[in-house]
Amino acid sequence: MVEIAVENLYFRYPEALNYALRNISLRIGEGESVAILGENGAGKTTLAKNLNGLLKPTEGSVKIDGVDTRNLSVAKIARKIGFVNHNPEHQFFAEKVEDEVKFGLRNFGFSEEEVEKTVQEVLSVFGLDEYRYKNPFQLSGGEKKRLAIASIMAWRPEALIVDEPTIGMDYAQKLNIRKVLRSLVSEGRCVIVITHDVDFAASICRRAIILSRGEVIGDGGLRELLSDEELVEKASLRKPFLLELEEETGITGLEEDFDFISSILAEAFKKCRS
Amino acid sequence: MSFLRAFKYRRKETVAHRLDPRSKFLLSIILMAISVVFTDIRVLLLLIAGQLILLFLAKSLREWASSLRGLIFFFIIIFVTQLLFGGTFFTGVVLSLRLLALSSSMSWFFLSSTPEDIGRAMSVAGFPIELTFSFIMAIRFIPVIYDEFQSIYDTQRSRGLELEKGGFRSKIRNLMPILIPLLVGTIRRTYEIADAMEVRAFGASPKRTTYKPLRLRGGDYLVCTASIILVAAAAYLKLLGVE
Repeated sequence: MVEIAVENLYFRYPEALNYALRNISLRIGEGESVAILGENGAGKTTLAKNLNGLLKPTEGSVKIDGVDTRNLSVAKIARKIGFVNHNPEHQFFAEKVEDEVKFGLRNFGFSEEEVEKTVQEVLSVFGLDEYRYKNPFQLSGGEKKRLAIASIMAWRPEALIVDEPTIGMDYAQKLNIRKVLRSLVSEGRCVIVITHDVDFAASICRRAIILSRGEVIGDGGLRELLSDEELVEKASLRKPFLLELEEETGITGLEEDFDFISSILAEAFKKCRS
Repeated sequence: MSFLRAFKYRRKETVAHRLDPRSKFLLSIILMAISVVFTDIRVLLLLIAGQLILLFLAKSLREWASSLRGLIFFFIIIFVTQLLFGGTFFTGVVLSLRLLALSSSMSWFFLSSTPEDIGRAMSVAGFPIELTFSFIMAIRFIPVIYDEFQSIYDTQRSRGLELEKGGFRSKIRNLMPILIPLLVGTIRRTYEIADAMEVRAFGASPKRTTYKPLRLRGGDYLVCTASIILVAAAAYLKLLGVE
């Protein structure tokens, strides 16, 4: 299983005066569910792109299973660590949904037989089989995001990085994406979610890495970190709704019943409106 | 794509940045014309030296230098085509210097003039607003499209795409997963911009006013005079038989 080790990572974009990431050291291992949180411009996506080799450290190192990313091609890393861009349309080019899923599999040298079998499986798992022959650009926002994740998960990478999975999503679409990511976590896969949607992060991840101005200002249990008011304010975040609800009601472990609570609240709001 | 950096406006406090875009355009066009008319290596070198001074005055030598890396690709094409189609190494050098002189002239103009200033200059020259606006948008969107290209390229590399692998035909085929999303995104943005302009009454009134009218100052007259002197000097050199 994959292990990502970051040691004293500094990163600066070409021609930039300041470092986008400074002195970052962390380890992410097997089966972890990690939320990388922080305000806009904190360096979340830059960190993610360093983790999967799209960007190489200016100083320090990022190692995947002990090998420095400088010595690995992006394709080699992608086989182990999948990356889903915040804008799914940045990856669509095929005429049909099934061809989008096939693309990565063919790049990684899967046989045609395996490709056909995997496409069938993946589309079914992600609830996209009815769109198999549809144009990816004609899907809804949530379906596009699911297809983007499905086309990465097709080759079964050991870890998945998802950049801003909830951007522009309505509530039902968010729930669908959440369901997909939670099922990956329960399978024991390492899932890294980059977001500033703390409610979404709290419903999926156990661990949080909080960034502010390119530095890690918090790394630990998501609940503990997001209960620290000073830290939350420094990172321009807020306490997740679930934690507030637990504090108010004194009931713990509500994230396990997230769907149930959400449905009750939705029903309650409907009644209030009527 | 790095050579595009030499054509992107950078806000700086310099004499060149304060000049009226019309006078800068006149000088750039004359420098370009001279670089096309002459094949004498001494004239081309003199021209490039002059352009370096202009770029130095515009504090833009660094941006210009960073674009050279991108131009190397074009220099190689020039040399290869010259050698393949009966040219000589010397003609390759001359054509490369000409390309450098042409790009340096444009670089000096675009690095020191805002797209809005260029648009105002075009309006004053009588170009229709639709054309002027399209031109400004095209310049302004170069960095946006470049960023989008980079993001798409990164996304496809994360799906195992390796552009550097395979022969020429497979390399071209491998570009499709990058070009198609880029094209779709650009067309969509075009429609969005058109809608945004329409809801703000673009083109509703035939008479447009300007917030910052252009005005020629002392420095501009100096640049215009220098441009005329350059034309006269070029004509004199031609009369002397300089190629």
